[in-house]
Amino acid sequence: MFNPATPGFWSDRRVERMLGAVACLVLLLIIGMIAFVFAKAWPSFAHNGLAWFSSGGDVDRQLEDIFNSPSNPADYVYELHAWPLLWGTAVVTFGAVLIGIAFSLFAAIFIVEFAPPRLSGLLEPVVRLLAAVPSVVYGLIGILVIVPWVGEHLISIERKESVANVVQLDGSSIGVGIMILTIMIVPIMIAIVVDALRAVPRSWTEGASALGVNRWRVTWSIVVRTARPAVVAAAVLATARALGEAIMLSMVSGSASFAPNPIDGFTFLFEPTRPLASALVENVEGLTVVPFGQTLFAFAAVLLVSSMFLSLAGFVAKQSMRKYGVQP
Amino acid sequence: MNRTRLLAAAAALALCAPLGTATAAHAATITMSGSTSVAPLATSLAKAFLKSPKGKGNKVVILQGGSDIGITDVSRGRVTLGMSSRDPKPADPGGIVFNKIARDAVCIVSNASNPIPTLSQTQIQDIFSGRVRSWSQVSGATASGPIDLVVRTAASGTQDAFQNIFMGTTLRVAASATTKSSNGLQAQTIKSDPNAIGYASFAFTKGLHTIPYQGVPCTLRNAKSGQYAGSRNFFLVSRGAAKGLAKDFIAFARSSTGQAIVASDWVPLR
Repeated sequence: MFNPATPGFWSDRRVERMLGAVACLVLLLIIGMIAFVFAKAWPSFAHNGLAWFSSGGDVDRQLEDIFNSPSNPADYVYELHAWPLLWGTAVVTFGAVLIGIAFSLFAAIFIVEFAPPRLSGLLEPVVRLLAAVPSVVYGLIGILVIVPWVGEHLISIERKESVANVVQLDGSSIGVGIMILTIMIVPIMIAIVVDALRAVPRSWTEGASALGVNRWRVTWSIVVRTARPAVVAAAVLATARALGEAIMLSMVSGSASFAPNPIDGFTFLFEPTRPLASALVENVEGLTVVPFGQTLFAFAAVLLVSSMFLSLAGFVAKQSMRKYGVQP
Repeated sequence: MNRTRLLAAAAALALCAPLGTATAAHAATITMSGSTSVAPLATSLAKAFLKSPKGKGNKVVILQGGSDIGITDVSRGRVTLGMSSRDPKPADPGGIVFNKIARDAVCIVSNASNPIPTLSQTQIQDIFSGRVRSWSQVSGATASGPIDLVVRTAASGTQDAFQNIFMGTTLRVAASATTKSSNGLQAQTIKSDPNAIGYASFAFTKGLHTIPYQGVPCTLRNAKSGQYAGSRNFFLVSRGAAKGLAKDFIAFARSSTGQAIVASDWVPLR
């Protein structure tokens, strides 16, 4: 018999403590992970100082020297100037997120406000399905279809020769990387923005419509404005995914640790680059070589810190929009 | 490449499970990890070994990961045998024994539309070090425009072998080269780019043009006869001298039955 006065084993106080313990465990795990990664990465940062983040020399060659370090710990090689990897990460990530924000916002507006119900009923599940496709599938399509096509049809011999002494253009490029990454992150952004647009109180839009404002202006000045925090949240989530994307980028753009140069004009888009996460994945084979492993952990530490700052920046950005905003 | 290792482990377990159940009473297990180039050979050898009188009723589990991982794993006692496609290095951990089981030809490969008749060692060094950057400077090449170098990352045993056999100690591959993290990605890139040149273990050259080295075509027959100069060794690495089942397995690999399997895609010892 159930007696509310004696709840038995599952008293509220006990449940609260147990749930609290689980939540604290998550916190502990995160702290433990950060401590572990930084402890492992420390020698690489300590030997290079701020020069770690600078440019200079060829990253691939520096990694090779680190990999071939002598076995005596005193002679370990650590020299690394990781700027090309950082620059590649930044260009690919922000390129994809900027295109993605515009694209997903308009797509979401169409799905919520303009599409006939039958079409939006079809589009939404498709978008959610696309969001779940594993990145390696995109990578395979990229390397088997898009990269050879770009290499054959979009890159002329003159263009190749113009940079041949510095870098090879074979189709695997920053442009293809940004394109496929955009395709990968857009579905998840659309899904978040759609939910937010739906959450805007109906009375607000009805009020505007009653005043004779047309549909587009209602959408743009009320619905989208209210949903701004959700757009920021979508952007933060997409950036985090783009930042950590390794396999696909390693397949379609990561053929050289090169820092593409915007001065090269249009050629810039055809230059290869290797983002941090890809560099990590491609070099995992050498993890057992001590200084090399520490260098890889340094990559991981940088990724970890960037994603923490990303969440923080997203949080700060949302503060100013809170007044009329709907939370996703 | 954790994912590859897991997949390979799953495949190896699936392979061995039906054979292992027969006389499970005194079954022993050999675990191996290491070179992705040696793994296909080790898998074929293990299949045959488990059917042989000495191997019957036992298990073999094969993981991959790269030569250096195999060597480290075995030196720490994580696996019974490490697979290595590179020669011992002075910096390797002490107390391990390299048991040679086969040889392997490293071929210089180009896109099938660019059948270069032959390359000398100097030409290969010029091309890969970046001194020669255009196909118009290479005699016999049908491709035009810049040369695209497609090589492997530093941790690869094939990269190590290429460096030792063709480049020597002082020259290095040009910094502009495209570096790929696996044999498959490298072959795919060369297949889709008419201007590409690279190197590959003989087993991975299907669909590519193999360029004769010093006038000798890169074929199994030439590598077996010793005429083809670009070959390297495959090792099973043990911690101390191999004992028990591992010793039997190495002996099997070196026996005439084992070497007949080697001869299908690699170069036997004799």
